[in-house]
Amino acid sequence: MTEKTVTPTVNSAGYDVPPELRQSVAITTLDKIWNMGRRYSVWPMMFGLACCAIEMICTAASRYDLARFGMEVMRPSPRQSDLMIVSGTVTKKMIPQIVRLYNQMPEPKYVMAMGACASGGGPFKEGYNVVSGVDQYIPVDVYVPGCPPTPQALLHGLMKLQEKIDRESITKVRWYQKDEIPAIPVPILGPDIIDPRDNAAIREMASRKAAPAAPAAQPETAEAPAA
Amino acid sequence: MYGIGILKGLWVTLVHFVETFTEDFRWIGKKRYYSEEGVAARRSKDAKGIFTVQYPEEKLPVPEEFRFIPFLVYEVDEEGNKHDRCTSCGICAKVCPPQCIWIVRTEDPVTKRPVPEPVDFFIDVDICMNCGYCAEYCPFDAIKMDHDYELASYDRHAEHIYNKEKLSKPVEYYASIRPANYTREEAIKAAEEAKKAEAAAAKAAAAAATAQASGGEQAAS
Ligand code: SF4
Ligand code: SF4
Ligand code: SF4
Repeated sequence: MTEKTVTPTVNSAGYDVPPELRQSVAITTLDKIWNMGRRYSVWPMMFGLACCAIEMICTAASRYDLARFGMEVMRPSPRQSDLMIVSGTVTKKMIPQIVRLYNQMPEPKYVMAMGACASGGGPFKEGYNVVSGVDQYIPVDVYVPGCPPTPQALLHGLMKLQEKIDRESITKVRWYQKDEIPAIPVPILGPDIIDPRDNAAIREMASRKAAPAAPAAQPETAEAPAA
Repeated sequence: MYGIGILKGLWVTLVHFVETFTEDFRWIGKKRYYSEEGVAARRSKDAKGIFTVQYPEEKLPVPEEFRFIPFLVYEVDEEGNKHDRCTSCGICAKVCPPQCIWIVRTEDPVTKRPVPEPVDFFIDVDICMNCGYCAEYCPFDAIKMDHDYELASYDRHAEHIYNKEKLSKPVEYYASIRPANYTREEAIKAAEEAKKAEAAAAKAAAAAATAQASGGEQAAS
């Protein structure tokens, strides 16, 4: 009988298994089982924002077939999805919805910035209406460069995410800690986008601007609405 | 009748499913997966059954003009020193639509004249839109578009701002990914060199002729 070895990634918990038992016994850690289950069932959320979404659709279709990675179930609800592929240009009008969807996703949740626009604003980085990088609002796990990334580049990014999941430990990941994870404040859409996390800084800046000329400026500001 | 469309659709799926196995029989003895001919057969127009490209193990060949993030071409001279073709002229940085190229220039500490080779050269690959303008406009063929698309990483600022070291690739690599472009450019260069040499030779000959003529005049007078 030939020596058959169990997949080394599973059976490598640091214990020596006697050779005669190798075919019937596998020692692993809870982390590895846990992560294996998780890495092969990453369900992305079904939404696309711009041209990159076309490549994402192509990746899910049969030429590249996301089902090989256990990711074929694109969920249209944030409650059922594990991965948010931000595929495309994030406009200022869209970011409140994206942050809201992110907050609605149950942990564990991952975010992938697909393409130049989602990662850093891309061609529109100085545009008046585009957020230069979705990572300014939500934590991003994997960045996939390209404009657009080809389906194979996206698959490479997804494999990178799987590697990241592999390295996690259930004792350390933030969603199994005692403290509650605060929701990310949803940005407010106005003439320009306002991040509620910057409120303190904005207020401080406003008061600093107003402070030196405060007595003189008072009547002026009072008059302004009347005029 | 309602539902015929659904049944027709299911029939197509079933045919594909069955064909996957009949194809397996036809390929007995040949490598259907993880081989170049297998990929070529699956992407041809008469592919039957499964036509998925099993990505990490096999990749679709990219066409020569496929462009992803740019790279800098360097040449190695006889002594093994690397020489960037780039002269830090800054044209690429100027034409780049999303402005994702930064070039650090330097000058010679003794002569105070600018050194052509850049000290550092940064491209933010998360901004680059793979347009290829930089490669198109570079007058020295120093920046070219790469074929490597496997660049995903976990950190944008630490890993996705490529410096000169990460961007530099030898000219042989360029010749290997874009052979037709490379030969064409080399031919143009060689023709220009020949023209220059010819012009120089003609000039030298003319100078020699005038010198001779004036010498003859002197002798006559
Ligand atoms: S990165 Fe390029 S392809 Fe993707 S959404 Fe932006 S402009 Fe479109
Ligand atoms: S890559 Fe080309 S265009 Fe850009 S600075 Fe260098 S020589 Fe100039
Ligand atoms: S390919 Fe286009 S976007 Fe990218 S560095 Fe070159 S000019 Fe800039």
